[in-house]
Amino acid sequence: MRSKRIGAGASAMTAVLLLGACGGGGPGGSDGDFTEGKLVLAVLNDQSGIYKDASGPNSVKAVRMAVADYQKKYGDRAVVDEIEVTSTDHQNKPDIANSKASELYERGGADVILDVPTSSAALAVANQAKKHKRVFLDVSAATTELTGGQCNKYTFQWAYNTYMLANGTGTTVTENGGKNWQIIYPDYEFGQNMTRSFTEAIKKAGGTVQGTIPTPFPNDNFATFLTKAGSTNPDVIGTMQAGGDLINVVKQFNESGLKEKGIDLAVGLMLITDIHSLGVDQFAGTMFTDAWYWNMDAESRAWADRFRDETGTRPTFEHAGNYSAALQYLEAVQEAGTDDADAVVGKLEGKKINDVFLRNGEIRAKDHLVVHDAYLARVKKPSEVKEDWDYEEIVTTIPAAKAFPPAEASNCSL
Amino acid sequence: MNAVLQYAVQGLAAGSFYALAALGLAIIFGVLGVVNFAHGAFYMLGAVTAAVLLDTLALPLWWSLLVVPVLMFGFGVVVERLLVQWLLRLDPLYNFLLTFGLTLVLVELVKQRYGVSGLPYKLPGALSGRVDLAGVVLPRYQLFVFLFSVAICVLVWVVMTRTRVGMIVRASTEKPELARALGINVGRWVTPVFGFGVALAGLAGVLAAPFRAITADMGNNFAIILFAVVVIGGLGSIVGAVVAGFLVGLVEAFGQAYAPTFAQILIFVLMALIILVRPAGLFGRKEATA
Amino acid sequence: MTRSVVDEAPVTEAPAPVAGSDPRLRWVLLSAGLVAALALPWFVYPPVAMDIVAMALFAIALDILLGYTGLLSFGHAAFWGSSAYVTGLIATHYGVPFPLAVVGGAVFAMILALPVGYPSVRRSGIYFAMVTLAFAQMVYFIGYQWSDLTGGENGLQGVPRTFFGIELVETESFYFYYAALPILLFGMWAAWRIVHSPFGRVLVSIRDNTQRARALGYEVDKYKIIAFVLSAGLTGLAGGVFAINHGFVALTELHWSTSGEVVLMTVLGGIGTLWGGILGAFLAVMLADYLASSGFDGIDLVTGSVFVLVVLLFRRGIWGTVRHQWLAWQQRRTSSRRTSAGADPAERGP
Repeated sequence: MRSKRIGAGASAMTAVLLLGACGGGGPGGSDGDFTEGKLVLAVLNDQSGIYKDASGPNSVKAVRMAVADYQKKYGDRAVVDEIEVTSTDHQNKPDIANSKASELYERGGADVILDVPTSSAALAVANQAKKHKRVFLDVSAATTELTGGQCNKYTFQWAYNTYMLANGTGTTVTENGGKNWQIIYPDYEFGQNMTRSFTEAIKKAGGTVQGTIPTPFPNDNFATFLTKAGSTNPDVIGTMQAGGDLINVVKQFNESGLKEKGIDLAVGLMLITDIHSLGVDQFAGTMFTDAWYWNMDAESRAWADRFRDETGTRPTFEHAGNYSAALQYLEAVQEAGTDDADAVVGKLEGKKINDVFLRNGEIRAKDHLVVHDAYLARVKKPSEVKEDWDYEEIVTTIPAAKAFPPAEASNCSL
Repeated sequence: MNAVLQYAVQGLAAGSFYALAALGLAIIFGVLGVVNFAHGAFYMLGAVTAAVLLDTLALPLWWSLLVVPVLMFGFGVVVERLLVQWLLRLDPLYNFLLTFGLTLVLVELVKQRYGVSGLPYKLPGALSGRVDLAGVVLPRYQLFVFLFSVAICVLVWVVMTRTRVGMIVRASTEKPELARALGINVGRWVTPVFGFGVALAGLAGVLAAPFRAITADMGNNFAIILFAVVVIGGLGSIVGAVVAGFLVGLVEAFGQAYAPTFAQILIFVLMALIILVRPAGLFGRKEATA
Repeated sequence: MTRSVVDEAPVTEAPAPVAGSDPRLRWVLLSAGLVAALALPWFVYPPVAMDIVAMALFAIALDILLGYTGLLSFGHAAFWGSSAYVTGLIATHYGVPFPLAVVGGAVFAMILALPVGYPSVRRSGIYFAMVTLAFAQMVYFIGYQWSDLTGGENGLQGVPRTFFGIELVETESFYFYYAALPILLFGMWAAWRIVHSPFGRVLVSIRDNTQRARALGYEVDKYKIIAFVLSAGLTGLAGGVFAINHGFVALTELHWSTSGEVVLMTVLGGIGTLWGGILGAFLAVMLADYLASSGFDGIDLVTGSVFVLVVLLFRRGIWGTVRHQWLAWQQRRTSSRRTSAGADPAERGP
């Protein structure tokens, strides 16, 4: 990581721990309320594995954009002059995420850690945040545990969770006439959670779940699962697969002839990068819940244009989520006038926010879940696509209050 | 009843694909004594090459089925000459380790060049749609994969049993001592056989392109299943690999139907059982070169 | 590069005291190693330092099989990971001091090794690798499915670091390192004792010539199983400490890629050398740690290439190559004094 030091005794060791972060700079600024006179935003995510395109290096750029916007907005009035953005690759390995998070807080001087995809890695980082009493804004992990049973005072979940994905799609598709469901899910924690949430939402909306079919993970061959799911003639087959397995399901669903029998496909978790990689024709008509879409209105589009200038590509909701999280963190620091975690958390809690990513957003004080409007999207037909990355049509906006689980339902105690 | 038939047909379709993919692994082991860990990576390269050829040169699937194996053969020859050959006379574990390292490199190179989300591949119109075989509905492309794979397996078998080259290769696979005693120079065939095995992996990759996710990681898990296939069939046995391929396809299909969660692990349970009962696999020699 | 490369290097090297090996040198090495282990957390971030030592024991445990018995296990993640889970569960549910939990994990790994080892050791070479891989896949599968116990892909989070109420150890990873180090050093000492005991010599003779060992009346399979179980137990010690160090256990620990990683470390450092495992673990962990924040995203490109190069050119591994050169030099020196240079027993054709 940063400079490694040699100590001469236990007391020197503690001194190193305290000073470790200042690197060559030292406390040069006049910002007395900031450790070492600067603010460090550390992005910890997957820079090399399967989540690289969805978030990865471009999320670091999104965070840099937030810093630039903050500095532009406040200029001389900014409470801190020096803001550093660092980037660390957790390689999708939770143990690396864990020791890197600890090192970032302890020696890297990180005031906040951002992003962290993969549930196991995110939960490990949340524990480090709690231990070191520093802020952690998670954007890319979906587990409800982060703001449920394993929540803590310093951890926030910014963009989405499994409940939002399942509830949005389950409710809206059922209300729009897809009454009878079959659900195919990868048989592990994420898939099981999603299936439970979907089933609840479908029943509440007046539909029935005819069957749920667990599948191994990872898995290439879904032929038999699809045959089984289609055998009861459902209106909709819901798939909770993600990434490569999702692509397998979609390709094999399209070939299976179920579509021609009038069966729709609904997807639990999909990112715009999935549509981009497989091609819009394969996904055409598929419904899913999105946390944000770059072309959903003028404000989003303007930001997406800036993002494209920086990165050469269009943003996923995770990129926008990282921008929003970093920006709101900086706003809270500005308000608090310090990088002291407790003070900043105090400013964040209960705050109502409208920015490019969060619409009707609120940082819930009870469990630190950030609720905001979500969107039911349909993948466009190839003929409707007018430009690159023009893949989604927003069917309905799901208001913040309905998109996320109610605060009373949370078993979190901070 | 109809459902059972449907699962059986799907199992055979999947099995034919496993058989084709495992064939190259078995041939390479048979002649070179190398467990090619990179087989999954070669399979992935086949699929990626087909996708890139479609994207850049609009080369259709038909041509890819011809062109990609030729390219992969060339690549296989290079890999054998450059890397594998230096370790052939040592413990086979070294080539296993070498190809493991090679897999890491190949997968990472594809990730760097083509990203992690995967590449698109559109199925040709002539192969989309379904066929109805006496009440059993199968995607037309699955039928094509089945027929094509079986044809290749038969072709390989004919080459192995009816041609001089095949006899030599087979002799060195199944009775290496005898081949040597007869003064057959196996060494000459090592490089082309390796290339041929890699070409078969690449061919399986091309076939996979229309119905599987084309990502840098697509071969990782697949390779592990193929190991199970060749171990069940008996390492190095060509017939064994084909039979075991179908067996694994059927186990998977019925597993998916009746014990969905356990579909994949059943393959490994099967493998463990076979090894307990017949340590050399279904068609393996009693004590293969260990 | 010429074809002669093939003829030259031995597959593995014999651990037995070699002509010219100097007992004084051994003591120098041991003291240097001990000092390095004690000094490590001063130079390296303590949790990472702990990972290095745990991985080193993992590699050494694997080497008992690979280097000294001639068996490549490609499923050792099963023992590493299951011990990590059991250690984590014991620590979480019973609140016992962590060394006790680690011992529990190691014992579990040894128990697990019996049913896995029994059918596996009947095979050798590449078959053994395949069978152990298959069993490890099953264990991984159980870990995935049994999410009530293991937390599924969320992992087993919040494993406590209980240590007789000594707060420094429980909270500061720097002091925890010194509390856990003896467990791992004990494991390494045990490994050293195993391979240098009469039992270890039987293992080597099995490796070198199974038929001959059998003819000499050794129950080869029994020896192999014992070696397998001992190796699993030491792996378990390492996995348990790893779990406590991180405060959680994730499914990655059971995945086959972890098995591959430890093989890589062992081969990199040098098969059949024990010290090599330590060196390999140090290099691999430090490389991953460095690349994580370097902005370079092709970590597998580096590890894969290094691995290919080592297998092609330095099959003895780093430590093995150095030792080989040292021994060759020593032998030249002695043979120039008295011209009675016997063949280096370390040299062994494939």
